[in-house]
Amino acid sequence: MPLINLPAFAGDLLADFERMETLRVDTPVIQPAEPFLDMAGEDLRRRIFLTQSETGESLCLRPEFTIPVCLRHIETATGTPQRYAYLGEVFRQRREGSSEFYQAGIEDLGERDTARADARAVGDAMQVLANRLPGRRLKVTLGDQSVFEAVIAACGLPAGWQKRLIHAFGEPKQLQKLLAELADPKSAGVFGHEVERLAIMGMLEDEDRLVALIGQTMEATGYSTNASRSPRDIARRLKEKMGLANTRLDKATLAVMREFLTLDLPLADAPAALFRFAAKSGLKIEAALSLFDARVAALSRAGADIGLIRYRAAFGRPLDYYTGLVFEIEVEGEAAVLAGGGRFDRLLTLLGAREHIPAVGFSLWLDRIEQAVAAGGAK
Amino acid sequence: MTITIALPSKGRMKDDASAIFERAGMKIVAVGNDRSYRGRVEGWDDVEIAFLSASEISREIGSGAVDFGVTGEDLVREGLADADARVEFCARLGFGHADVVVAVPEVWYDVDTMADLGDVAADFRARHGRRLAIATKYWRLTQQFFSGSHGIQLYRIVESLGATEGAPASGSADIIVDITSTGSTLKANHLKILSDGVILRSEACLVRARKADHQDNPVVDRIMAAVRAAL
Repeated sequence: MPLINLPAFAGDLLADFERMETLRVDTPVIQPAEPFLDMAGEDLRRRIFLTQSETGESLCLRPEFTIPVCLRHIETATGTPQRYAYLGEVFRQRREGSSEFYQAGIEDLGERDTARADARAVGDAMQVLANRLPGRRLKVTLGDQSVFEAVIAACGLPAGWQKRLIHAFGEPKQLQKLLAELADPKSAGVFGHEVERLAIMGMLEDEDRLVALIGQTMEATGYSTNASRSPRDIARRLKEKMGLANTRLDKATLAVMREFLTLDLPLADAPAALFRFAAKSGLKIEAALSLFDARVAALSRAGADIGLIRYRAAFGRPLDYYTGLVFEIEVEGEAAVLAGGGRFDRLLTLLGAREHIPAVGFSLWLDRIEQAVAAGGAK
Repeated sequence: MTITIALPSKGRMKDDASAIFERAGMKIVAVGNDRSYRGRVEGWDDVEIAFLSASEISREIGSGAVDFGVTGEDLVREGLADADARVEFCARLGFGHADVVVAVPEVWYDVDTMADLGDVAADFRARHGRRLAIATKYWRLTQQFFSGSHGIQLYRIVESLGATEGAPASGSADIIVDITSTGSTLKANHLKILSDGVILRSEACLVRARKADHQDNPVVDRIMAAVRAAL
């Protein structure tokens, strides 16, 4: 299917993908919109091109490939492990650049050896970029959600706070706001007068009585107890919230978390630095660190140029299906992100897969790569 | 050049707007009969009045088809992306008060702030197999407030064009974003406003389309000055 607006290097790129033992797949340009909005949130609505079928089904122009490739995998009941490759047009409303552009990438589904699969995703992305941009120095930024989660858990925060912080990972402003709240006793949780009444009635200590009361109130006010949050959900979260409001982080723990978030160093030095940090701070995070270490080792074994990769502890993506590795690749000294990837072990179950399918992948911004190639040729 | 002012075509909004313009020395008379959708201003030959529905007014100001309009701030901010870049809110007129608010079932004893709602939204999918559903006709304001101001991404909007406050009890959504003036409808439906859940305190405003040719048109300034003086 020779399209005249394809980047000149598309053929070479696909040949690379084939050598990387992938199965090339295509997906329809017109996709159901629900999965994208469900996974990425309503904010995406402003950035995709939405339309409707005659029957009112919400449809959109494919804004990316990961979700369609995963849906296709689930629908065709293909066995795992399976590595897919794609190359095609995606459609998004962007501030800069055209709103239709090419993306290509690899999705590696079902590989149980996490370190190996992670290393392969990073290594393959670096390789295809190096092949397009010979002589240009790449800069890879790598983060790890699971290390962050382990640090938070080891700091001994209540589950509610852990969830809040994990949810804000990858959004520096939001994360700093939460840390400030944790440090400052002034910003205690807000409780309505209803809760005071419950406290006086002694309801807050007895979960079962509280659940029964909430259930009765719902029925009396015409709310169904199973359509949305159940009485037990509400009672449990109320308890969790009281825990949140009573939590004050001591200065030492807060300093540990802040120090962790400032870590930014060559990947080759990162495992040793993280082990030192954990030992010094007294954090038990060996499980996450050994996986991190294994990934670095796997990258070296795969022959990737580790010298180009930096680990940044605060680097993450605020989407709830990302679970571990995240990375981005640029040309050194230039701002455009040419490739982005990461591990999304939760996505396939969210999309309806019956079994847990670990997944990792990356995608390439072909228009930006084309510009980088042109800029290199001009120099 | 003639300046067009769009005014609400019926109801309290029409009467209140006309009263303010009359106090401003701009008595509005219908062209033809009382039901006519065109009007003029006595003694202001270079001004004409277009009577439109409130939501049309925000759209027409946004496109620059009219120069001024009287309509609710909520409709302008909901209808236009980058509202402040495209229009100027010249004067708040003191009628048509309505707050756009986030309201949740009263029985959600654990939810009193947007931070609480963020916690609930983050967990919702794992517990209920779907995202938190918000019934509203205010797509844009909801997105800006939830995603922009409070970092909450994980929710779905269920479009609701009427009787929005009934959605949580009927199960078609979990919470709502809607306008309220006295709060009595919310209360009757056993909903409560979050303590930091007021998205916008809206009222009727005199709104100007930011058009280049307004720069050196004295009539534009005179209209703004007259209306402000009448408040």
